[in-house]
Amino acid sequence: MYEMLEDFAQENGLRETSPGLKLFIGISSILLCVSSPAPVAPLLVAASMSAAVLALAHIPARVYARLLLIPVSFAVMSIVVVLFTTGSGAVLFEVPGLPLAVTADGANLALLLLARVFGGMCSLYFIALTTPMAEVFDILRRLRVPAVFIDLAMLTYRFIFILLEEAGQIYRSQVMRLGYGRFRESVRSFGMLAGALFIRTWESGEALVLAMDARCYDGKLGIPGETRPVSFIALAATLLYLGAVFGVSLRTGGLVLV
Amino acid sequence: MHIMEGFLPSPWWQVWFLVSLPFIIIGLYQLNRLVQEKREALPLLAVAGAFVFVLSSLKLPSFNGSCSHPTGTGLGGVLFGPCIAAVLGLIVLVFQAVFLAHGGITTLGANVFSMGIAGPAVAYLIYKAGTRAGVNTYATIFLAAALADLVTYVVTSVQLALAFPGTAGFLGAFSAFAAIFAVTQVPLAIIEGAVIMLVFKYIVQLKPEILTRLDLLSESTIRKLREAAA
Repeated sequence: MYEMLEDFAQENGLRETSPGLKLFIGISSILLCVSSPAPVAPLLVAASMSAAVLALAHIPARVYARLLLIPVSFAVMSIVVVLFTTGSGAVLFEVPGLPLAVTADGANLALLLLARVFGGMCSLYFIALTTPMAEVFDILRRLRVPAVFIDLAMLTYRFIFILLEEAGQIYRSQVMRLGYGRFRESVRSFGMLAGALFIRTWESGEALVLAMDARCYDGKLGIPGETRPVSFIALAATLLYLGAVFGVSLRTGGLVLV
Repeated sequence: MHIMEGFLPSPWWQVWFLVSLPFIIIGLYQLNRLVQEKREALPLLAVAGAFVFVLSSLKLPSFNGSCSHPTGTGLGGVLFGPCIAAVLGLIVLVFQAVFLAHGGITTLGANVFSMGIAGPAVAYLIYKAGTRAGVNTYATIFLAAALADLVTYVVTSVQLALAFPGTAGFLGAFSAFAAIFAVTQVPLAIIEGAVIMLVFKYIVQLKPEILTRLDLLSESTIRKLREAAA
């Protein structure tokens, strides 16, 4: 699953585009979504980001749809609270027997939040599916983020994939031996998994120290960076797109849907 | 408890970035010093960060079948202290936002504060207080991990209630958020406490030198714990 994301980031239709430009588009879109006062602009961002991911980066539609379904349950839980606690304006719906009611303001706010979350998620996936992490680290270094932070992030990133594989193996062998049959057993098995994983993790960390020392590690990791120039057309198109979204966000400021 | 991308409106997401920033700066400073003193600390911190990420991407057994996962932050706080745990938390949260769609970029400040700072700080304080008072080590670890989880969820509820007070006011909104999250988070905190306790037990039995090297437990305590288990 996670390797899959990284695989797509390594070989997608937008692989050769400048990583700085892709990050700039993604993060500006997120900021535009959060600051938009009406749901139209975030939905526009969601639509254009999805179009870019599907048509330009050639990510299979089924994979993308499955990714978008991951955050749904988290979103629903928080939005329900906002829906019921924001109460002014006309009452649209009342829960029989409970002092709970959905009002026009609550519904508008919930809709706006849903649109922002959706737009933000699409922009995040745009970054995750088109830009390999190694290039993000390179940009961070050029932005003068402290070296120790980048080194730590890179090593963490490297180990995530190794550990996920190992955790998956332990988990599957536990499931085959009915380790998650009953509740008590599942807590015990999960503790065993986490404990074994921690010790193995630590040992591989120590092995890495040895390997790095053997290769003259002096407290700094070198990463070769390559720069890809941003074409004038790409930059102009990006600015045009962001300007258009911003314009829509300003124009629809006073609009309420319900 | 992650807050999703786009969920916190303007002043609030910036406010939480500003609140988290000093802890991250202190953490980076401490990290720099630690790495200069002991070069081998960096890879070990990295594997700990990866461990937290992997732990949080696995589903925990849960009573109500909901999608709940451990935070692992309590362990980070106990092992490395709250400020370095905040830096680790920041890194893990960025990866979680990008790979798992848990959390997001604008809500990063708020999430770092609840999961990377408040949780580990509580775990660290409880662990210190517990060992000083001579409480049973496993009971201390259980409390530290479970309460770190609970504090994280209370802080998240506060953050959401501040941003969306509604007509009920801050307290009304807080109780609404807290009540709806309690369904998954209270059992989760207890399970996480138990799981982290088991992790600790395995470390004591199989590789206690990790704990002595981090100055967490003295050799005599470990010997006592192993004798009690045998």
